[in-house]
Amino acid sequence: MPPMHSSSPHRRPWQTLLTATVALGGVIGLAGCTAPSAGTASTFSTWNSVVTAADGQTVNLWMFGGDEQGNAYIDEILAPAAAEEGVTLNRVPVTDTKDALNRVLTELQAGRVDDGTVDLVWVNGDNFRTGKEAGAWLCDWTAMLPNMANVSATDPLLTSDFGTPVDGCEAPWSKAQFSIAYNAAVVTDPPTTVDGILEWAKANPGRFTYPAPPDFTGSAFVRQVLYSVSGGYQNVSAEYSTDAFNTLSPELYETLAELAPSLWRGGDTYPADSTQLNKLYADGQIDMTITYGPATLTKLVEDGTYPPQTRVLELTDGTLGNASFLAIPSNAAHQAGAMVVANIALSVEQQVAKANPATWGQFTVLDLSKLTSIEQQQFADLPQSTVVPSFDVLSRNANPELSAAWVPALDEGWRTRVPTR
Amino acid sequence: MKTVRGARAVLVIVLLPVVVVVVGGLGSAIMQSVGLMPLIGPVRFNLDAYAATAQDLPVAIGVSLAIAASSTAIAALVGTAAALVVVSGGWLGRLVGMAGAVTISIPHLIGAATIGLLLADSGVLPRLLGIDADAWPPLVGGPWWVAVIAGFAWKESAFVALVVAGTLLTRVAQFDEPAALLGAGRIARIRMIFLPLAAPSLIVASTIVFIYTLGSYEVAWLLGRTYPEPLAVMAIRLFNDVSLTSRTESAAIAVVTVVLAFAAVAVASVAVRRMAVWR
Repeated sequence: MPPMHSSSPHRRPWQTLLTATVALGGVIGLAGCTAPSAGTASTFSTWNSVVTAADGQTVNLWMFGGDEQGNAYIDEILAPAAAEEGVTLNRVPVTDTKDALNRVLTELQAGRVDDGTVDLVWVNGDNFRTGKEAGAWLCDWTAMLPNMANVSATDPLLTSDFGTPVDGCEAPWSKAQFSIAYNAAVVTDPPTTVDGILEWAKANPGRFTYPAPPDFTGSAFVRQVLYSVSGGYQNVSAEYSTDAFNTLSPELYETLAELAPSLWRGGDTYPADSTQLNKLYADGQIDMTITYGPATLTKLVEDGTYPPQTRVLELTDGTLGNASFLAIPSNAAHQAGAMVVANIALSVEQQVAKANPATWGQFTVLDLSKLTSIEQQQFADLPQSTVVPSFDVLSRNANPELSAAWVPALDEGWRTRVPTR
Repeated sequence: MKTVRGARAVLVIVLLPVVVVVVGGLGSAIMQSVGLMPLIGPVRFNLDAYAATAQDLPVAIGVSLAIAASSTAIAALVGTAAALVVVSGGWLGRLVGMAGAVTISIPHLIGAATIGLLLADSGVLPRLLGIDADAWPPLVGGPWWVAVIAGFAWKESAFVALVVAGTLLTRVAQFDEPAALLGAGRIARIRMIFLPLAAPSLIVASTIVFIYTLGSYEVAWLLGRTYPEPLAVMAIRLFNDVSLTSRTESAAIAVVTVVLAFAAVAVASVAVRRMAVWR
C-alpha cells in the first residue's frame, strides 16, 4: 500500500474531521457549564389563550409505571377526557419519578430549553424540591386553572410539598396516606403503634422487612420510625437542620440496626423497592407490607394477589400523609396542553373516578365543602372497601411530612449505618 | 491511490462515532467528576466527588471485580467447551450452536428477570422441587451474588462460544485432520490444536465479557444485594439521586470504572501479543 502523504498539499481530510469531532465533543461538554438558576414563569396570561394553544398538542405525561391501576386510569379515563378537549395524552412509564426529573435536568444541562420531551410529571417531595432548586419547573400557572376553584387555598398539604412552598409550580392531584397492611389470618393481634410493629417484628423473626431507602416507600417507613422513636411527630421539626438530625437520628438508626436481625433474611439484605416488598408479601414470605398508596390494596386482594384476610393497620399515633401533584418542566414542548390536562385531572368527574377503589382509589384533593351537594354525594356514593378504611379514618391524627431536605440525609444515614453493621 | 483514499474515508466514517462517544462522553464524565460541569453553582475545579466516594470505593471495586472475574471465568470455561462441541459437529454440535444463538438474542434484562423468577426464594425452581422459601439458599440477593453471576455467565458463555467457534471453524480442519491421520488422540488434539488456536479469540472474548460485566448495571441491581454495591449500581444510584451534587460523584465512579476497564484491556492485549499464534 503506497503512503498517502504525497497526495494532498493541504490538511488531510481525516485530520480536519478529527479536529472537528474533538471540538464538537468539547462543545457538548461545555454546553452544560451555564447552569440554570431560577424557575421559569408561565408565558400565558389567560386561560383562553392556553386552551387555544393546547389544541392538537400531544402531552407526554411521565409517571411511575409500576401501578397498574394508575396506568389503566390514565389510559382509559383521563386520556379520553383530554382527547375531547383536543389534547392527546401519552403516558410514559418510568420506574422512578427521579428518572423523569433526571431527563429534564439532563436536557437543561445540554442546553435544550424549549423543546423538552417531558411535558408533565407526577411528582412530589424531594423530586419537586430538587427540580425547583434547579429551576426545572414552570411556575405561576396553577392559579389559571378553572378547576383550582374547588381546591382549598389554605390546605397545608397542598400549599407546601414536603416543606417546599408549591408557589404555583405544580397542580394538586391526589392525596395519599402511608399505610401498613397485614395478613389478619396470621397476625391475630395486630399492633396499634409504630413501636408495636417493631415489637411484633422482633417477636416474629423473618416475617417483616421494608424496602431499602432511597426507595420512596422504604424512605417513608424510616421517617415513620423516626417520629416513633422521637415520641411523635411533634418532636421532630419539619425544617431540616444538622443539629436536629444529629440529635434525633442516632436513636433511629440504633433502633433499625437492632431490628435488622429480626427482619426477612436476618436483615442481611433488603428488598430494593416496594415492588419486591409487595412480591414477598404476595408470596407469603412476610406478613406485613408497606405502601403509600393503600387504595391499590382492595384490587390486589380481590384478584387474589394478596391474602384474602389483608387489612390495614389502624395506628393510634397516626401515619404520614402527603399530596402528589402534576408539574410541568420549564423546558416542556407542550406547556399549554399539559395545563389543560392538569385542569381536567382536577375536575369533579375525574377526581371521583380516580377515588373509586375499583379504578385507582386515590384520595381527592378537592375541598368537598366547596362542591355542590350533588357533587358531594358523588364522593359519598363511592363503594367502601373491606380492606382499606375510608380516608377520614385512615388520615386520623395524620403526621405531616418532613421537609424534603430531611429525606436525602435520612436515606444516606440509613445506608451508611444500618445495613453495614 | 483512489482506493487508499476511499479506504481512509471509510475508516474516518467508521471511527467518527467512536471518537465522538469517547471524547464527548468520557470527556464530559471527567469534566463533571472534577466539578467543571455542575448542575447548579459555580464552575470550579475540585476533587470533592472523588473524596466523597472514597470511603465506599474499595468495597465497590472489590465487589465489581469479583463479579466480573467469576462471571468471565465461568463464561470462558463453558463457552470454550460449547465451542468444542459445536466444532465437532453432529446433531449435538448443531443443538449447542442453536442454544447459543437463542441465548445471545435474549436481552440481558429479560435474562436477569427470568433468572430471578427461577432462582428466587419463592421462585419456580424451589416450588418445583417442593422446597420451602425459608430453606432455599439465598441465591437472589444473597451474600455470594450467585444469581447475578449465573445471569452473566449464562449469557456470556454463549457469546464466548460463538466467537471461539467462529475462529475454530475456519482454521481447525487444516490442522486437526492431518493430526488425526497421523494418529493423535482426542485429548492430544484438544491440547495441541484446539486450545492454542482458540486462545487469542478466547482472550479477546473474555476481555469483552469482563468489561461488559464490570460496567453492566441492570443484572446486579435486579438480582443483587442492596449493600455492598458494585460500581455500576452505585453510579446509577448516585446519578438518580435527588441531591444535585451527587451527579458529580456518579461521574467520578464512572471514571474509576473506565480506568479499571482500560487496565483490563491493557493486560489482555499484552497477553494476546505473547501468543504464539498471533506472531
